[in-house]
Amino acid sequence: MIKNYFKIAWRNIMKNKVFSLINIIGLTIGLSASFVIGLMIYYDYTFDNFHKDDDRIYRVVTDFTSPEGQFHNPGVTVALEDAIKENSNFEIINGFYTERPSKVENRESNLEFKWPKFVIYTNGEYFDIFKYNFLAGNMDNVLANPNEVILSENRAKDYFPNLKPSEIIGKTLVYNDSINTKVTGIVENFKERSDIVFEEFISHPTLLQTNTREFILDNNWNSTNSNSQLFVKVKQYANINQINDELKALADAHIDEDMKRYGQTRAFTLQPLRDIHFNEDYGVYDWERGMASKPLLRNLALVALFLLLLGCINFINLNTAQATQRAKEIGIRKTLGSSRKQLIWQFMGETFMLVVISALLSIGLTKWLINVFSDFVPADLEFKLIGTPLILIGIVILLVFVTFLSGFYPAVVLSKFNTVSVLKNHLGIGDKKVGLRKFLTVFQFTIAQIFIIGTLLVGRQINFLLNKDMGFQTEAIVSVFSPRAERALSKKELFAEKLTSIPQIKKISIGGMAPASYNTNTSSTTVNNGKTEVQSDLQFIFGDTEYLDLFELKLLAGRNFRNDTIRELVINETAQRIYGFDSPEKAIGALVDFGDEKVPVVGVMADFHQRSLKTDIKPMALVGDWYRPDFSRYQAIHVALQNLEGDDLKSALSKIESTYKSVYTEVDDYRIEFMDETIARFYDREKKVSKLLNWATGLSILISCLGLLGLVIYTTNRRVKEIGVRKVLGASILQINTLLCKEFLILVAIAFVIAAPIAWYGIYDWLQDFSYKEPISYWVFLLSGIAMIVFALIVISVKTLRAASVNPVNSLRSE
Amino acid sequence: MNILLSLNEATRAVNSGSNRINLLEDITLNVNEGEFISLMGPSGSGKSTLLNCIGMLDSFTDGGYTFLGQPVHSMKEKNRSKLYKDYIGFVFQAYHLIDELNVWENIETPLLYKNIKSSERKALVGDMLDRFNIVGKKDLFPRQLSGGQQQLVGIARALIGKPKLILADEPTGNLNSKQSREIMELFSQLNKEGVTIIQATHSEANAAYGSRIINLLDGKIVP
Repeated sequence: MIKNYFKIAWRNIMKNKVFSLINIIGLTIGLSASFVIGLMIYYDYTFDNFHKDDDRIYRVVTDFTSPEGQFHNPGVTVALEDAIKENSNFEIINGFYTERPSKVENRESNLEFKWPKFVIYTNGEYFDIFKYNFLAGNMDNVLANPNEVILSENRAKDYFPNLKPSEIIGKTLVYNDSINTKVTGIVENFKERSDIVFEEFISHPTLLQTNTREFILDNNWNSTNSNSQLFVKVKQYANINQINDELKALADAHIDEDMKRYGQTRAFTLQPLRDIHFNEDYGVYDWERGMASKPLLRNLALVALFLLLLGCINFINLNTAQATQRAKEIGIRKTLGSSRKQLIWQFMGETFMLVVISALLSIGLTKWLINVFSDFVPADLEFKLIGTPLILIGIVILLVFVTFLSGFYPAVVLSKFNTVSVLKNHLGIGDKKVGLRKFLTVFQFTIAQIFIIGTLLVGRQINFLLNKDMGFQTEAIVSVFSPRAERALSKKELFAEKLTSIPQIKKISIGGMAPASYNTNTSSTTVNNGKTEVQSDLQFIFGDTEYLDLFELKLLAGRNFRNDTIRELVINETAQRIYGFDSPEKAIGALVDFGDEKVPVVGVMADFHQRSLKTDIKPMALVGDWYRPDFSRYQAIHVALQNLEGDDLKSALSKIESTYKSVYTEVDDYRIEFMDETIARFYDREKKVSKLLNWATGLSILISCLGLLGLVIYTTNRRVKEIGVRKVLGASILQINTLLCKEFLILVAIAFVIAAPIAWYGIYDWLQDFSYKEPISYWVFLLSGIAMIVFALIVISVKTLRAASVNPVNSLRSE
Repeated sequence: MNILLSLNEATRAVNSGSNRINLLEDITLNVNEGEFISLMGPSGSGKSTLLNCIGMLDSFTDGGYTFLGQPVHSMKEKNRSKLYKDYIGFVFQAYHLIDELNVWENIETPLLYKNIKSSERKALVGDMLDRFNIVGKKDLFPRQLSGGQQQLVGIARALIGKPKLILADEPTGNLNSKQSREIMELFSQLNKEGVTIIQATHSEANAAYGSRIINLLDGKIVP
């Protein structure tokens, strides 16, 4: 019986190749999207789910609030660990300190490693919370003494190539030239996905031998360093609310008087281990790998769901439309003894077959899609993840679900046919379902239309962001950063000096970050403007006297500061306004009080955007390098190039690099940033959204148009006789085409009416993230509506024009 | 003679607008096992409706219908379907073969719905092909056959379930005279083997093959 069903299913698929193809394409697109996105969701939600009692492990983090907003710090004050030691709710408490040593040496083999990543200073409790598999070394009393280190298997392979784990025990590693440590253990790296990525575990007391000593000994409740991490494992059945209350009480008890005065608060919060992978407020340890975003995953899942729905709708539409063709078979089967249930199962089987074909195609496509969507898909998500039992079960469930969604309704409709009327060729049933098919078509086109409008508006906003004048020069400027450890100014000056000999360079400035960057440096200030005393935060950018010129920042009043170290400020217009001065001129000479000193304003510059256009312009000042010789704020050489292209640009850049190498001979840490690229990077996320929307739009238009094509083919075929008669009566091709197109275009138009407000609301909501935005203009709606109608018209006309031009003699003869 | 089925003042009515029209009216009829009945009458006299109602594809709206002693009119759908699956075979004027299945598969289909095992199905279909001399055509699809051949397959399919009753609605209506004769002789042969046949026909010649003729006019049996 089953074999018979599959045989007839296969023959039906082959007989209606166009319809089958449309069905398969639609389902394949939906399923592929679901597979890829399902894999991503599985990948991200299975981080750190393998630790013993992982639901009881928390990271303690700090949340600050102030009148300006909320701030989050993944670390806690060093004092907290001692304060909660006696708390009986905690089973294990482990504080550790993350820091990258500048250098590690294996002197025995003469190996040297710069800036190793993922190094922490911790103690044995760490290994009680996170269970590692020890490959070598004693598991008792780990890291109890100063100058001990445990290495991960991977790290050990780097530091001690060709040695077995057991042979490495007892060897010495030298950190930062002077700290000798003994290797006491080798642990296996976690095989599963984890954000606990540490590779080197140095015993905590060793920290006192580093320059962090003061900070650790200080044990100050008021300083919070993100490097100082605290993990806890709570007792079973511990009351989390109670713990949070106790932490709050601790935070309140140790609040700083200054914080109170400025209306700031601090809270310690338990962050579940599994939340670390998602919560961007606190971040992860491996920034390069990036984090997962729950909203993004949710939106992706929605896109997949919509595409899948569109595919299913095509299926329902085409199958109910085609029902009359199957009617005869159904009638005969009923007279031969088939029950309705058997017929339903037969049609469900056929649907399942199509779904399985689509699924097989999708699995092939998934491999390819993982590459296409590399922006979204985590880099180490591999295709073979699809073989995980849970994923396979998920796929089977999805296939059954899709089969029911798309197959059940057509099966019910088909099996309901009345035998006698079918065999007498009295069929009216196909027409009764027209209402539903119209509704589904409208639904499809509504989704497609929303995507079109969304894409256009998001594209416009991104264009606006990228092309909006930032208020300073962003073209042909590169920033070359000094090596990270290099603090001295002399080399920077030497480098800048040498660069002047390159003819393609227009201007050079030594300074801090460029005017727009992710880094901010802010101080709290007060200014007496003659009427009142104004308190405000002030952001800084640091630069020499050339900085203003090089970035073409416009001076509105006053002058630039006279030299690099003089204590003078050039504030921006926003600062001038916030401090309460009516015009730039009036602000000149004002004294800005930093608490310990008062500094005069000598100039006011025009506002420019310090960050992406999502944020407002903040009060800001350009200052020199005040703390020399103790400390220099300068970390980069900014270079303005002549307008260069292609090879000229390349040669200029390679000259800059070779100059850099001639100055900084010992280290290899060449970092260069193009101003325009930095700005473009502000909008990475928006570009991702845009790319996603482009795909979703393209695919939803494709699926919907295919579905429409199917319906048009069906309807037109049914009206061949009518068309013939009308032509005999003198209708022109155009008139007939209009007649045929009209009913479909009305559906598309209805879809537009429904889609427009939904799209408007969605975009309006999205735009609230931006301080500066392109207004939503009505012509975009109009344009996308017209575009959709044109798409539909093309698709419809493909079939109707042909039908309309058929010689009526042929169509009427066949009756 | 056993009575195969009996109709007692059976009526089939439909609503057309506000009018109630009787397609069949007060039909009383006993059919014995082994009979070969020809239903005659002009178009619209109710021949097909009577066949459909006897075949349980359609049902009487009034009156009694007993099949092999069981009251069909008061039966549940499930039992009724079991009854006709087991005892009734249909032959249609337009053959009504399933276009997507070949000859072999078309004949096999009723057996699938009776849950007969694969090996037994093979044997039964093979026998039937032999008997009708269409072994060579078993892999062909309906569109590749002539009308007479298609009707032969249709009859083979009707017989495969070993029915007691064959209902044939103008079985030769689409065939030429030579093919008609062959089909009618086949029916006559089957009847001799014990199968009860009720056929609807316009043709006097075909009706003559039957053992009894029933004339219908406007839904009523006329003497």
